[in-house]
Amino acid sequence: MADHRPVDSVDPNNLPEYGLLAQYEDVTSLKQACEQVRDAGYSKWDAHSPFPVHGIDAAIGIRPTRLPLLIFGAGATGTTVAVLMQWWMNAFDYPFLISGKPLWSLPANIPVAFELTVLFAALTGIFATLGRNLLPRHHHPLFNNERFARATDDKFFIAIEAKDGRYDATRTRELLESTGAVAVDSVPDDSKINASLPKPLVYFIVASFLAGFVPLGIAARAWFTKSAEPRIHLNPNMDFQQKFKTQSPNPLFADGRSMRPDIDGTVAEGWLRQDDAYYRGLDADANWLVGFPQQVEVSQGTMARGQERFDIYCSPCHGTAGYGDGPVARRAAELKQAKWVTPSSLHQDYLRTQPEGKLFNTISHGIRNMPGYGHAIPESDRWAIVMYIRALQRSQLATTSDVPDSERAKLR
Amino acid sequence: MSTASKTLDANDARLSPFEGGGKMIAVGFGLGAVGLGGAAALGAGAGDHFEGFLHSYLVAFAYFLAIALGGLFFVTLQHLTRAGWSVAVRRLAEVVAGTLPVLALLSLPIVIPTFLGNHALYHWADPAARQEDHLLHHKEAYLNNTFFLIRMVVFFGFWSLLARYFLKNSTKQDETGDPEITTKQQKLSAPAMILFALTLTYGAVDLLMSLVPHWFSTIIGVYYFAGAMMSAMATLIVLAKYLQGKGKLGDIVTVDHYHDLGKLMFAFTFFWAYIAFSQFMLIWYGNIPEDTIWYAPRQVGQWIPFSIALILVHFAIPFVGVMSRHAKRKTGILLFWAIWLLFAHWMDMFYVVKPTMIIEHGGEAGMLHLSLMDPLCWVGVLGFFIAAIGMGLKKHRLVPVKDPRLTESLAFENY
Repeated sequence: MADHRPVDSVDPNNLPEYGLLAQYEDVTSLKQACEQVRDAGYSKWDAHSPFPVHGIDAAIGIRPTRLPLLIFGAGATGTTVAVLMQWWMNAFDYPFLISGKPLWSLPANIPVAFELTVLFAALTGIFATLGRNLLPRHHHPLFNNERFARATDDKFFIAIEAKDGRYDATRTRELLESTGAVAVDSVPDDSKINASLPKPLVYFIVASFLAGFVPLGIAARAWFTKSAEPRIHLNPNMDFQQKFKTQSPNPLFADGRSMRPDIDGTVAEGWLRQDDAYYRGLDADANWLVGFPQQVEVSQGTMARGQERFDIYCSPCHGTAGYGDGPVARRAAELKQAKWVTPSSLHQDYLRTQPEGKLFNTISHGIRNMPGYGHAIPESDRWAIVMYIRALQRSQLATTSDVPDSERAKLR
Repeated sequence: MSTASKTLDANDARLSPFEGGGKMIAVGFGLGAVGLGGAAALGAGAGDHFEGFLHSYLVAFAYFLAIALGGLFFVTLQHLTRAGWSVAVRRLAEVVAGTLPVLALLSLPIVIPTFLGNHALYHWADPAARQEDHLLHHKEAYLNNTFFLIRMVVFFGFWSLLARYFLKNSTKQDETGDPEITTKQQKLSAPAMILFALTLTYGAVDLLMSLVPHWFSTIIGVYYFAGAMMSAMATLIVLAKYLQGKGKLGDIVTVDHYHDLGKLMFAFTFFWAYIAFSQFMLIWYGNIPEDTIWYAPRQVGQWIPFSIALILVHFAIPFVGVMSRHAKRKTGILLFWAIWLLFAHWMDMFYVVKPTMIIEHGGEAGMLHLSLMDPLCWVGVLGFFIAAIGMGLKKHRLVPVKDPRLTESLAFENY
């Protein structure tokens, strides 16, 4: 017992009484005894058995636990905290638009709200259970009684504490004996002597607590100090590979570059593009081409393709009818964006008379604030779009003479 | 408490077959004939190739099919887990599952017209649509009239046989008391559970998901199952309370049995919400047209209050209401919530089926398309369902009197 620190005020040889411990042989007599002790009006007492006993709480007279209310409250707190936290993070402190959803969007909050509800409720359940049962606890005065070891094996016990207002050493003993106890022992209260934790356990806990700060300390040091040392390379084979990278020097070539320039006069296969009309919209005199290059078939099929491509690439700004009122333009106007330049309407006179080649060039390379789309739309589709723009422009100035005879009759 | 010695006399009048079963059959057939007859007459008069009638009928049919399948799952689960507590109420579940052959017959108004090419319910049942619509053409190997018929025969055949098998062996044990029968049922329950999961999933895919054949949701089977278990537990609670009110069962079914049925019912209300939200959230954040096609019409016009009411009635209100131990142990309160959730289940089936009339059949957007045929169909299928239960109760003892675990169930106590 070297671990136990004696406390001056308590004489180990003359300990106060903890209470009386009564032993029973089976669960039925335990429950009957509990009912009698309960009816005698005791309040500071408990029953001990090797396994859970149905109905023992009623026999002892324990009121239903209030733990569920506590857990419900903790769960509701978890839900609230989760929703507020997500509002604060995503809609207030650092507004961040994700796939066009509202900044504070309930469906997105529900998974986290669910998790935090469960987490708060579960942790509260665990810690409130421990707390209300006064756990963890490394010693109890009943452990001094040798019989009591069998409480976890095959015997049943009732312990009445001396602190109970109705406790009387003689009469309480008589009561317990009358309930069919096979033995009633007085148990000394050594909790003042054995209150402290064993020394090695104390050292271990303190050491663990301090060790917990080591990683935090390392992280803090790295955060606040500057270092001229290069970073640590754990896998040099991957970090330093035996090869020449794009911008690295290369002693093998006279100019010292790793990247080799194209050899003069070479063209990649299929990229010669000598046809000025088709690829650049120019006629033989280097003026803008009027009409369409010979490769482009003027047909309903090309027109339909042009409409489809126009609706995909052009209409977001220019609008499906070409008036410069696409959804992007309307949204920018709605937001009053100062730097936004309104897209041109395609129904202005200078655009109606512009050569096809010039329109092709505008699509390819852009104009003013409009970026070029040459990288995204192949030549054949650019010409199809030009063809569709011509149809759009004509459609806005159409007269009845443009309507086929068969349809004209229906207009009246 | 020292109730472990409580035993049952096999001739106890409280467990003998229910004399009121005959009345249930008579009333049931009456309701069935009036309900379905009236709805069919209205459907024929509407001149829409029975489109309105078939949708109302599918709502009611899927409703009661879910309850019967939930009962079958409950029986299989109790055997699979070798459960002791549930023996006192297992016969009731066996009788509920025993309605499956009747439901197989009730599936004919859906299966036969669809097989014959009536596409008023399932758009894919139209061969012309399958030719024109690329996606339907692509899915034709699965979604075609013949294979649909084959699958329905297999599913309903399997469910009916399994339910009959469990019930037949269990009632045989009432006579012989042979504990080997319990072992046999337990052995069967494991493969039966796997096949049940597959057939229920594909059943939900065929009957409910293929209503909108462009749409797909891999969770639809679990969604239907969640509602099925919840409504089956509610049905068991209502049935046990009804029989106790008629002087049967007595104290054999105790508050502790109700408590556990209530726990399962409560758990599956939440499970339903969990699954329903899982389905919604993926579609919501993915925001892809072929997925959102299912939800978009449910968030317009009259469907907005209906969708919100579904969340409240099927989840939020009963979640708080049934949560407390008190609500589950006062059987009057529990009965109230069981009936409440049986209504919520109807809302759920209505929500799953009805918008098809808008998405696939050109119905006016934003309208519930609620008609007199909806209550009539529900009452009609309910009638036949009650009659089928009456047949089971009239024929069999109400508790498996010689089940080896009955003593354990009688002494069951709950925390």
